[in-house]
Amino acid sequence: MALHTLELTLEPATAAGPVKAPTHIGVTGSSDLEVLIQPEDLSGKVSVKLVTPVTGFDALWERVLRKFIDETSLSDTRIEINDNNATPAVVLLRLHQAYTAANAA
Amino acid sequence: MTQHDTRKDWRTRAADTAARKEAAAPLFAKGKEVLAKDTVALLEAVIRAGDVINIEGNNQKQADFLADCLNQVDKSKIHDLHMVQSAVPLKSHLDLFDNGIAKKLDFAFGGPQAARVAEFIDNGKIQLGAIHTYLELFGRYFLDLTPRVSLVCAYKADRKGNLYTGFNTEDTPVIVEATKFKDGIVIAQVNEIVDELPRVDIPGDWVDAVIESPKPFFIEPLFTRDPANITDNQILLAMMCLKGIYGEYGVTSMNHGIGFLTSAIELILPTYGAELGLKGKICTHMIINPHPTMIPAIEEGWVEAIHCFGGELGMEDYVASRPDVFFIGPDGTLRSNRAFAQTAGHYAADMFIGGTLQIDKYGNSSTATAGRVAGFGGAPNMGCDPKGRRHPSGAWLKCGEELPSLDSLTGSVPRGKRLVVQGVETFGEGRKPVFVDELDAWKLAKSANLDIPPVMIYGDDLTHIVTEEGIAYLNRCKDMETRMAAIRAVAGFTEIGLTAKPEETKALREAGIVKTPSDLGIDPSRATRDLLAAKNMRDLVTWSGGLYNPPARFRNW
Amino acid sequence: MTNWQNLQPRSFLEASARDRAIGLVDEGSFTELAGPFDRVTSPHLELLGDAVAFDDGIVTGIGRIGKTPVFVISQEGKFIGGSVGEIGGAKMVNTIKTAIDFHDDLVAKYPDLTDEEKPVVVISFETGGVRLHEANAGLLAHAEVMDQLQKARGKVPVIAVIGSKVGGFGGMGFVAAATDAIIMSEFGRLGLTGPEVIEQEMGKEEFDASDRALVYRTTGGRHKYIMGDANFLVQDTVEAFRKQVAELAPLPVADFEAMRRIGSPEKVENQLRLVALAAEMQPKDAVDVWAKAGNENAAGLLDVPFAEFMSTVKRLSV
Repeated sequence: MALHTLELTLEPATAAGPVKAPTHIGVTGSSDLEVLIQPEDLSGKVSVKLVTPVTGFDALWERVLRKFIDETSLSDTRIEINDNNATPAVVLLRLHQAYTAANAA
Repeated sequence: MTQHDTRKDWRTRAADTAARKEAAAPLFAKGKEVLAKDTVALLEAVIRAGDVINIEGNNQKQADFLADCLNQVDKSKIHDLHMVQSAVPLKSHLDLFDNGIAKKLDFAFGGPQAARVAEFIDNGKIQLGAIHTYLELFGRYFLDLTPRVSLVCAYKADRKGNLYTGFNTEDTPVIVEATKFKDGIVIAQVNEIVDELPRVDIPGDWVDAVIESPKPFFIEPLFTRDPANITDNQILLAMMCLKGIYGEYGVTSMNHGIGFLTSAIELILPTYGAELGLKGKICTHMIINPHPTMIPAIEEGWVEAIHCFGGELGMEDYVASRPDVFFIGPDGTLRSNRAFAQTAGHYAADMFIGGTLQIDKYGNSSTATAGRVAGFGGAPNMGCDPKGRRHPSGAWLKCGEELPSLDSLTGSVPRGKRLVVQGVETFGEGRKPVFVDELDAWKLAKSANLDIPPVMIYGDDLTHIVTEEGIAYLNRCKDMETRMAAIRAVAGFTEIGLTAKPEETKALREAGIVKTPSDLGIDPSRATRDLLAAKNMRDLVTWSGGLYNPPARFRNW
Repeated sequence: MTNWQNLQPRSFLEASARDRAIGLVDEGSFTELAGPFDRVTSPHLELLGDAVAFDDGIVTGIGRIGKTPVFVISQEGKFIGGSVGEIGGAKMVNTIKTAIDFHDDLVAKYPDLTDEEKPVVVISFETGGVRLHEANAGLLAHAEVMDQLQKARGKVPVIAVIGSKVGGFGGMGFVAAATDAIIMSEFGRLGLTGPEVIEQEMGKEEFDASDRALVYRTTGGRHKYIMGDANFLVQDTVEAFRKQVAELAPLPVADFEAMRRIGSPEKVENQLRLVALAAEMQPKDAVDVWAKAGNENAAGLLDVPFAEFMSTVKRLSV
C-alpha cells in the first residue's frame, strides 16, 4: 500500500514552449492536489510525475494531462503533482492555475 | 326504480369518528388538552387496525413525539396501518413497520431512512403503495388517500385546539384540511399550550386533541449551507449559470435546490452578478426556504419576493424583519406553506435549478442508488415543464422559442418552456462519474420490485446541463441524436464524455448548443472564493445586521 | 507568487499557510527555506500509502518588518489537519534555531544593535498537534520545538498568531502557550486537548464537540482574550495580523517577558489563582466567567460586532 507513482512523457501537437518560471500551486488537501511546474529542456516534451494514494485511474490521468497539454501546447516543461483523490475537474483547474501563475511570474 | 338510494346511512364515517372520540373522552384534561402521559391511550382509543394514518413530518419539522407514541400502542389491536405521509426521515417512522403496527406506505421522501425503506420493501415489512412528489401526494389526500387520523405538530396551541404553526407551517394546513373535512381525527403535538396564540394558523374546531410534548419537536436546519465549504469549481459553475442561463434568459422567478452550487450562485449575486449588470433583471421572485446564503443578495436589494416551503432554524428574526420580501402574518412572523410553495414552484416559476447524482446519456437524472429508496420530495414538481401553465414570461417564451421540435405537436401555435437546469461536476465524490450509460435507478427498481425506475427529472423536461466543461443547451437540440451529442460534449472524462467526437462538439459550439467557459467569456482563474459575498457563517451574521442566529453547530466564532 | 497588496485585506481565516507567511512580513521580503522545490516529503506517509506534500504542510522562511528580521513558520491545516511530523517538525526546530544563531552572530558582530534590528520568530498555528502516522517522530519534534523556545527566551521573541480554521490544539497548543505573545482573531481557537478528544474521554454530556458554538465559546479568540490566554485580539485580515506583529517586532525582549502567561514564579501564582477561582466558581459555561470578569451582558458578547466587543469587553484579572 505504498504510494502510487505515475510517470508520463507527453508531446504537444504543436510546441508553444515552456512556462516562464518555476511555480508551485495548491495544497494536497482532501480531494485536492499540489502542482510544481518548471521549464526544462526536454526536447520539446513534457514530463509528468504524479504521486497519489489512489490506484486504478492511470488512463484517466493520462487523458486529463493530455487535454491540458493540448489546450496549452506546453513543451519543455516538467510537471510534478502530489494528489489526494482530486476529481478531473479539480486537476484541470489547478493545472491551469499553475500555468497562469507560472507565466505571470 | 325508486328515486331513493338503497344506502340507509350517509353518516357512517361521522358516527365512527364520534364513537372513537367517545372512547377517548376520559383522557381529556382541560378543553382539548390531553396530557403527554395519556398519548398512547389516546392513540389506542381513536385508531383502528387498517386505518389510513398520517404522521406530519417533512425534511424540516417532525411530529416526533406522536410517532414515538404510535410505536407503543398495543399491536394486537392496532396493526396493518396504511401510512400516508410526506416523508419518513425518522427511525420511528420505519420502526412502525418493524414492529408490525404499519403495513403499507405511500410517501414522497425517505431521506436518512432510505436504506431501511429499501430493506423493508425487500423483506416484505413494507407494502409499497407508491413514491410520489409532494403535490401528487397532497392531491391524493383529497382523492383516494384521505387520512382517517392525522398526527400533526405545531409550536403552540390553546385549549380550544387552535394551533400556531408560524414560521414552520409547512404541510400542516393540507393535512388537517384533508383529514378534518372528511370526518377524520386530528391530534397535534405542540411545544407549548398557552392561553393566547400569536395568531391562529389552524382553527380549533379542525383539531380534536392537543398535547404538550415533553420536548420541542425535532427540526432540521436542512437548507443551511456553510459558505466556508464552497469550492472553486462550484464557483466556476455558478459563474457559468449566472452568465449563460440567468442572464441569457433573464430569469426572474425560480426555485433553488439545496446544494452548494446554488449557495454559490446566491453568494456571487452581489459580486459577479452585479458586475454582469444583472441586478433587477434576475432572481427577483423566488420560491425557496429562507436560505441564509440569500442574505447578502436580499440586503443588496436583488429580491422582491420570497415564498417559503418551510422555515429555516436561526432565520426567524431576519425574515420577520424583512416583511417587504417574505410572507409575514399580522403577528409579524413568517408563514410558510409547502403546498402553496410547491404550486408556485410548479406553475408560476420560470426555472428550477438543482443537482443530481447521476445523469444518463439521454438526459434523465436521478438521485436513486441501488439499496436506497429515497424519493425526490418536491424536486420533480419544480423540475418539470408544467403542461398546465398558460401565463407567458420572457424567460419561459425564449426557452420555448429555442425548441426546434415545438411545431411537431402544436403546429404554428407558440408555447414557452420552463427552464430545468442541472448543475453537476462530471465526477462526484470518490471520482464516481455523474454521467452514466444507465441510471442506478434501474437496479433499484429491480431490487425493490418497483414498476418503473425512480427518475427524478425526465430527459424531456431537462433544458440545460452545466458542468465544468460547459453548458449544454438541450432545449436547442432538434432531436435525440443532437441531445445525446450535447450531453457527451459536457460530460468531461466520464465514459460518456469520452465518446464525444471533437468535430461534432465543434459544430455544437458553433451552433450555440454547447458553450464552454471561454465561449461564455469566463476566465476560470477568476473562479475563487474571493467572489463570495460571505465566506463563512459569521459573515452572514454581519450581513444580516445581527438578525441571523445560526444554529450552534454552524458557528465558527 | 501571490500578490502581497491583494493579500492584505483578505481574510486571514481563508489564507493558505504560504499566503500567511508572505503576507505577515513586508512586501516582497519573504524568502522560503526548505520550500516545495526542495521536495522534502514525509518518508512515513509514503510507506503508509498516504498522500504527501512537497513542504510537508509547513512553510518556513525569513522576511522583514521594517528593520526587524522575521523568521516565519506557518502551518497548513488542509494537509492532514496541519499535523506535525518528522519533516515539518524539523523545519520548525531549525527555523527557530537559525533565528537564535542569527541573533547570537549579529549581537557578537554588532554590539550596539537596536532592539528593532534583532530578529523575532512568528509562528502561524493551524494544527491539531502530533501527526499520528509518525507519532514518535512527531512527539520528538514537539519536544525539540519546546527546547528551542526555551533557548530563544530572553533573546529572540516568539510570537504566535492564531486565526486559521483548525486552530492550535494538542501538543502544539502547549507550544503556543509557551511562546512570548499570542495574537488571535475571533475565528482562532487555542486549546490543549481538542474538542473531539474531550468528548471521547469525558462523554457528550461533559462536552459536545458537535456544538460548535460551545467549542468556540471555550477555545475561541474572544474567550481566550477575556481570559488573558491571548494577549491581542485582531480583525480577521492578513493586514490586521501583520500590523499587530509589526507593533510588537521592535519592542525590547523584556517587554515580551511581561506578555508571557507562564514561565516565572509570579506567572505560576497567577495561574494558580485562576485555578482557585474556577474551583470556587464552578462555572457551567465560559459565559459565567465572562460575567465574573465584570461583563454585564456576558452572553451578548458572543455575537456583538468586533469593534463593539473590543470597546466594551472587560478582561478577567485575578
